[in-house]
Amino acid sequence: MAVLVIVEFGALWGGIMALPWDTPMGLLTGVLPGAIGGAVAGIASVFADAGAWLADLPTLLSREWIPNQGHRVPGGGWEGTFLGLEPAYAWVIRVAVVYAYAMFTFYWVWRGYMVFRRHYRYADWTPADDMIDRFRGHNWGKFGLVLVMAFVVMAMFAPTISPTTQEQNIMDPYSHNIEYYNDDAGQVMETSVGQANLLSSSKGVQRNFGLWSYDEYDRFHPTGTFTNGKDMFTLTAYGARISLFIGVFASALAGGIALSLALLTAYYKGIVDLATVVASDAFMAMPRLLVLIMLVTVLADHWVANIYSGGFIIAFLFGIWGWMGLWRAVRGPAFQIVENEWVMASKGFGERPWRIVKKHVAPYVIGYLLIYLSMSLGGYIIGAAGLAFLGLGVTAPTPEMGRLIAAGQSLVTTQSWHISIIPGLMISALVLGFNALGDGIRDAIDPKTGGDDAAGEAAAAGGGG
Amino acid sequence: MSLYQESRDGVVAEPTGEVLVEVDDLKTYYGSEGGLLGGNPVKAVDGVSFDIHRGETLGLVGESGCGKSTLGRTLMQLESATAGEVRYDGTDITTLSGKELKEWRQNVQMVFQDPDGSLNDRMTVGEIIKEPLNVHNWKTPTERRQRARELLDIVGLKEDHYYRYPFQFSGGQRQRVGIARALALEPDFLVLDEPVSALDVSVQAKILNLLNDLQEEFGLTYLIIAHDLSVVEHICDRVAVMYLGNIMELGPTDAIFDEPANPYTNSLLSAIPEPDPTLEKSRMTLRGTPPSPRDPPSGCVFSTRCPLKIRPEQYEDLDDDVWEGIEIFRAVLRDRGDLSKSVRQRLRDLLGLETRGMDIEEVLEESFGELDVPSDVQQHIDSAVEHVRRDDLQSAQEELETEFGSVCEQEVPENLPVGDTGRTSHCHRHRDEHEGTLDYIESHGYER
Ligand code: SF4
Repeated sequence: MAVLVIVEFGALWGGIMALPWDTPMGLLTGVLPGAIGGAVAGIASVFADAGAWLADLPTLLSREWIPNQGHRVPGGGWEGTFLGLEPAYAWVIRVAVVYAYAMFTFYWVWRGYMVFRRHYRYADWTPADDMIDRFRGHNWGKFGLVLVMAFVVMAMFAPTISPTTQEQNIMDPYSHNIEYYNDDAGQVMETSVGQANLLSSSKGVQRNFGLWSYDEYDRFHPTGTFTNGKDMFTLTAYGARISLFIGVFASALAGGIALSLALLTAYYKGIVDLATVVASDAFMAMPRLLVLIMLVTVLADHWVANIYSGGFIIAFLFGIWGWMGLWRAVRGPAFQIVENEWVMASKGFGERPWRIVKKHVAPYVIGYLLIYLSMSLGGYIIGAAGLAFLGLGVTAPTPEMGRLIAAGQSLVTTQSWHISIIPGLMISALVLGFNALGDGIRDAIDPKTGGDDAAGEAAAAGGGG
Repeated sequence: MSLYQESRDGVVAEPTGEVLVEVDDLKTYYGSEGGLLGGNPVKAVDGVSFDIHRGETLGLVGESGCGKSTLGRTLMQLESATAGEVRYDGTDITTLSGKELKEWRQNVQMVFQDPDGSLNDRMTVGEIIKEPLNVHNWKTPTERRQRARELLDIVGLKEDHYYRYPFQFSGGQRQRVGIARALALEPDFLVLDEPVSALDVSVQAKILNLLNDLQEEFGLTYLIIAHDLSVVEHICDRVAVMYLGNIMELGPTDAIFDEPANPYTNSLLSAIPEPDPTLEKSRMTLRGTPPSPRDPPSGCVFSTRCPLKIRPEQYEDLDDDVWEGIEIFRAVLRDRGDLSKSVRQRLRDLLGLETRGMDIEEVLEESFGELDVPSDVQQHIDSAVEHVRRDDLQSAQEELETEFGSVCEQEVPENLPVGDTGRTSHCHRHRDEHEGTLDYIESHGYER
């Protein structure tokens, strides 16, 4: 494990550093009195420096080791690419290495857990073992896990697996130059990325660089180019970061609120329930879109609006406005489950209410919640796209799945169909993955779905009547 | 039956006579506070007093809805009492809260009726049994595991059932798990809420035997709540018979089953099918269903259904069937009177629409049929019918009440001692001025 972490530490750390740490830090220093604030800022900046230094450490999977950006040389062949290979092959190798690494890490952790469980753990059995074993037997759930993991790896290693870099291609194309082989002139020439992008755009009939194509500047585009000539794959990989964040964070927030409220209302009933009904009606009665637009606009200059290029605030608002439906959906089941005598029994030996609902009600309610959540997760991603379309939330040039789809919509019927379809398919795959994973988890936490029921019953039958 | 018999013989010697639980004028009402619609509270338990002795098995019987489960739960402090006291070993537990309440809970545990609903299917048997130990931080985790295995053994399951889930067991096995959980903290007092009523008869006997063995081994005190009289008859030392929130009769099991004193106990026992069908007997059938505990009858709660109700002096010798007819007639009027109070009905009245059609002739036919009704009775009935025709149920009821009502409807009976076995019965008939229940039963040709 140590080796695995060391070789990839820079990349992992880079991923962690990419999270919006400095915003809360800045806020913290702002509210603290001057002297302490300065000290904190000093310490923080030391950490930030250390973090940046760590992130800069060379790693096994760094793009520099297997470069795919190069140009043809006169008389054939490539310069600047990995082993002089064609950029497409170099890129494929790099992606393969990244995924191989991720798979190996996962396998290693899994083996480690199994070894721990068998040889080192004090308890020879815990209930979690049963859940994990049930999940292992759940193919649909495992399929979902693979899809989600693939997506997470893509988001996490976006800088590594993109054919080009974010700074160069997306954020600041005019400050970067590239070399390319000019067929007409017959020699290697230099131009700015921005200039090259202009002539590499996919715009339907007039010009198109589709799947698996090279543009005129010797750049390889695995999934084509965007309407402004930027590399689609880079956009989608970075976009996956934000979309994943929005989807997961909003679902977790909405689901968390819905679950807590469902447990609370089911346990205390009466006035608490009534208050929640009123609150949820109040939330429902507000036109969600208008409120979102208003809040996003009002908070535009606030520091929260900058976290994750506006992704955080969108996810937060979706979460805050997403719990009502979920709560309504799980309220009924929660009320039913609280009526079971085992809840009464637990009360009878003096268990605290919070522990009662956590142990005896929540596991049942979560099963229902997961179904609804996996359905709404895609909705949040698409919703964020819709807002981006209106110019709210995640704004250009930060890539975001929804904006990509929106931009390509008018070109779906042309040669440039890939602009909408690729991110669209990816969101569908992600939603499907979460759906399947949710299914798997739901079945895993329910012992009744275990495959060995018959054997279990036969074994249990041995005892007294 | 012989299985049960065996168990009772074992238990009878146990009780020590020392009082463990004292219940004093306990009342548990629901819905009185905060209800949006207001109205009367449900008087689930309405002033009961009794003692439970250390080491004994007290049975609590009654029809469903009589408040026996609520009483059990109030003793466990799972419902809070509206009034009255429950003293456990001298402390009034209705006032306990927080830490003290949690401490006290170790002494008292409950076994539930439905073994499906009382065990969380998402937890293994081991976790379920360990749960009370965890809650009270009993010793170390290793010792808790050890204890759970031990308990499995005690209740007759196998130790490796520890890793099984409840749904993999039969009802009887599940109930054993529930018992093991209840025993985990070594309580002194167990409330068993219909512990066997959801089980097969053959399994019932086994579970009852287990309970009996456990009682002897650990010196437990039981309160068994049941509607099945045969279970109670064969396992309990004493029995309390409950009706509509009141304890009607309380005494040693033998005395109550052999010679029930209270009219309600008589009718309950009379409902048990006779093993010998050739024995012709006139049963004391219970009319209708118990009245709503929101609005219990005045005087004796059983007065609306009591077959032995005390009659006014002048009707002492009235034909039994005619008397019965009067009672039915009054019951029907009461029923209809109730209905007319519904919101919908009131609305209709306001809108001037016709009220619920009451075919009084039919009611009369139903009540009296071909009976030869004496003229003095007929006169009052006619006058009541007159009121009904004028849609004045109130007056009709009042008319009948003043004529045929008695002490049963006017005064709440006391718990009067019966015999010399410490038995009490909640009935006016035990007062000297009225004919005793047994005499009445004999003189009116009932048999039980
Ligand atoms: S008091 Fe009257 S109504 Fe009540 S049980 Fe006794 S005889 Fe019946």
